[in-house]
Amino acid sequence: MGTYLIRRAFHSFLSLAGLLILVFFLARLTGDPTNLYLPLDATLEARQEFTEKHGFNDPIYVQFGRYLVQLAQGDLGDSLMKARPAIDVVLEAFWVTLSLAAVVIPIALIGSVVVGALAAYKPGGAFDRIGTIAALLGASAPDFWVAITGIIIFSLTLGWLPTSGYEGHLVYWIMPVTVLLIRPFGLLVQVARGSMLSVFSSAFVKTARAKGVKERSVIFIHALRNAMLPVITVAGDQAAGILNGAVIVETIFGWPGVGKLMIDSIFNRDFAVLQTSILVTAVAIFTVNIAIDIAYAFLDPRIRHN
Amino acid sequence: MKWTKFLLGLPLAVSAVALMAVTGAEAAGKIVTVVLSEEPDVIDPCESTRSNVGRIVKQNITETLTFIDPKTAKISAKLATGWKQTGDLTWQISLRKGVKFHDGSDFNAASAKKAIERTLNPKSDCEIRLKMFGNVKMSVKVVDDYTIDISTVKTQPILPTMLGTMTITGPNMQPLKGDRNPVGTGPYKFVKWVPGQEVVTTRFDGYWGAKPEAEGARYIFRKESAVRAAMVKAGEADIAPNIALQDATDKKMDFGYFNSETTRLRIDMSQKPLDDIRIRQAMNYAIDRDALIGSIFSEDVVNMTNLVVPSIPGHNPALKVWPYDLAKAKKLVAEAKADGVDVGKEIVMLGRLGIYPNATEAMEAMHAMLSEAGLNVKLKMVEVSQWVDIFTKPFAQDRGPVLQQGQHDNNNGDPVFSVFFKYGCEGPQSTTCDKQVDAGITKASATAAGPARDKVWQDVFARLHELVVDVQMFHMIGYSRVNPRINFTPSISTNSEVHIAEVKFN
Repeated sequence: MGTYLIRRAFHSFLSLAGLLILVFFLARLTGDPTNLYLPLDATLEARQEFTEKHGFNDPIYVQFGRYLVQLAQGDLGDSLMKARPAIDVVLEAFWVTLSLAAVVIPIALIGSVVVGALAAYKPGGAFDRIGTIAALLGASAPDFWVAITGIIIFSLTLGWLPTSGYEGHLVYWIMPVTVLLIRPFGLLVQVARGSMLSVFSSAFVKTARAKGVKERSVIFIHALRNAMLPVITVAGDQAAGILNGAVIVETIFGWPGVGKLMIDSIFNRDFAVLQTSILVTAVAIFTVNIAIDIAYAFLDPRIRHN
Repeated sequence: MKWTKFLLGLPLAVSAVALMAVTGAEAAGKIVTVVLSEEPDVIDPCESTRSNVGRIVKQNITETLTFIDPKTAKISAKLATGWKQTGDLTWQISLRKGVKFHDGSDFNAASAKKAIERTLNPKSDCEIRLKMFGNVKMSVKVVDDYTIDISTVKTQPILPTMLGTMTITGPNMQPLKGDRNPVGTGPYKFVKWVPGQEVVTTRFDGYWGAKPEAEGARYIFRKESAVRAAMVKAGEADIAPNIALQDATDKKMDFGYFNSETTRLRIDMSQKPLDDIRIRQAMNYAIDRDALIGSIFSEDVVNMTNLVVPSIPGHNPALKVWPYDLAKAKKLVAEAKADGVDVGKEIVMLGRLGIYPNATEAMEAMHAMLSEAGLNVKLKMVEVSQWVDIFTKPFAQDRGPVLQQGQHDNNNGDPVFSVFFKYGCEGPQSTTCDKQVDAGITKASATAAGPARDKVWQDVFARLHELVVDVQMFHMIGYSRVNPRINFTPSISTNSEVHIAEVKFN
């Protein structure tokens, strides 16, 4: 396992390096950001000074060399927008997104497994039909519409929940978490259901039933463990998507997460923040992928031994 | 079995810990909550000509030497109590006595000099310097404890008006732009800035002026206009200074106001066929402004005849709105064509995404109108960075004829902040070069504030109207939503400043 993890980490590092190089050059193809940072009425001399001060007029290979030297020294650069170290800006935002993901994914995973398993237990039954329709609706519903509708109903009409905000009280989390939860939940229910249906028809489940094993144990111990692999794969993919930043939820509910930060840094040509946020989210996604691999190994001894 | 339980239980545990991980607080009572569309990226007062900074800082945390009245554009005393021109190149400013900064230091001639020099320091890219004083070289001399002389290289007859944009910062602030703890003399002092969440200020008990009713302010940030409007409606915020037209649906809470923005299509007169005045006239005749008002634009917008809004001295009220006359537009195009003008040459209509609400729809509508007049126009919408590159000099040599969507705001009391930049031969965004206009700009700039200066500016606007330098559109209306628990009326300055001291509680 140790060797495997080292190898995985090395491959992830190579992917990360490639990604950073790509982002560096692609971002700079958009040109000199000077005009975005100075008022329209700034003189030509002022623009030239700004460009020279930040090195935007240097050839791109010179800028890249400078970036590599800084990177080697652990310096990820300063945000042009916020005049602070880019890493500070990104980590503040990433913590917000991470905390959201840390709530959403476990709920989605557990809820979808339970619902999917029960739906698969009696395929075609009432629970299965309702669950499938709800899952499809959830997987198809646009976040933006759900969020705004939620605000209209639960905040403005019923007055049960606040409209938005990133605060400590549980009530501020309910709507953002619910909106973000709907699509992965819907998707995972379908995956869990399909996977469980497949497992229910396998020989070892029939054997367990024949031996008189309690039905609850058949579902949640024997069948579920074998059905979890595809569910975890999809959950990992969904987690990666959320870690990239739930832009719509962050924008509507005013959560200062990394998704919104990345979009703003693209529009504002804040290269240091863009590169740093991609670096941080890439590391997080690679970590999630490795965690999925480890989960595979624990769930399936065959994988562990291989 | 154990591993399955563990794997099921672990995510729940993680969720529970995450939910308990953060803390927060709600504002209440006489704290005014202002919900802004964008968090400022810096909070240095020398950036307060940017609206997302100015709404928090200007006249709240820091004050200016003079104050530009948003209704009349006249200046009055603030931290300066008097001013007189003692020479062609020198103004003497008398300073208010008994004023303290939030950190306890004294406001006097030395600290005023330091604050002005901080803003004008060429090592800082202060927006106030670049936008308002970019072409002004000036120096400050302390005459006595409460008097300073400001000397300029060229005569600046409206220097006192320009000082209405000069925020005065505490002498202990860091010398270059970027201080995250703004210190001023205003009625509210800075408490904290939690990035991504809020900026908080509290009433300054040592304020020199009248004690305001609001005990403090909390600024929060929501990009989506519908959410800002909902927050005020739900009682979570008191003022949303800027909401979209389609969200301004509550007549009791919503206020429309001139937001000092004027929108137009800039005509690149140096490029054929736009260099032909008949084509420029045809473009203006082809636009059915009445059709746009109340549909794509708010029903409250006002037709533009000058670049500045009517409250700015120098605005020429005698200029007429272009009437919609499609037949005349077609006739002018035909006449130009008969004279050999290449009216079939493709003209690019360059719009900027999100420059104002329904910006794309407005361009699409005008594209159809101009096409109907017989012009060959192609619509292209770009995002802000590309738009700025094309809008400012140096212009690309091979650019071709362009009509560029633009919006300009000026609530600083004089057309000098607009006209040179947009229409002067050397103006950084000017596609116009007319000797009469340039002469007018030079003359107005050297004339003391008053009726004579206003007349010169009016003549300049008349000449610009005669030249048909723009496809004229509208003076825009902004919308604010205000919580009924407070009494606050937005004004032309609300686009860039929100004066918390003016808030009264019902």
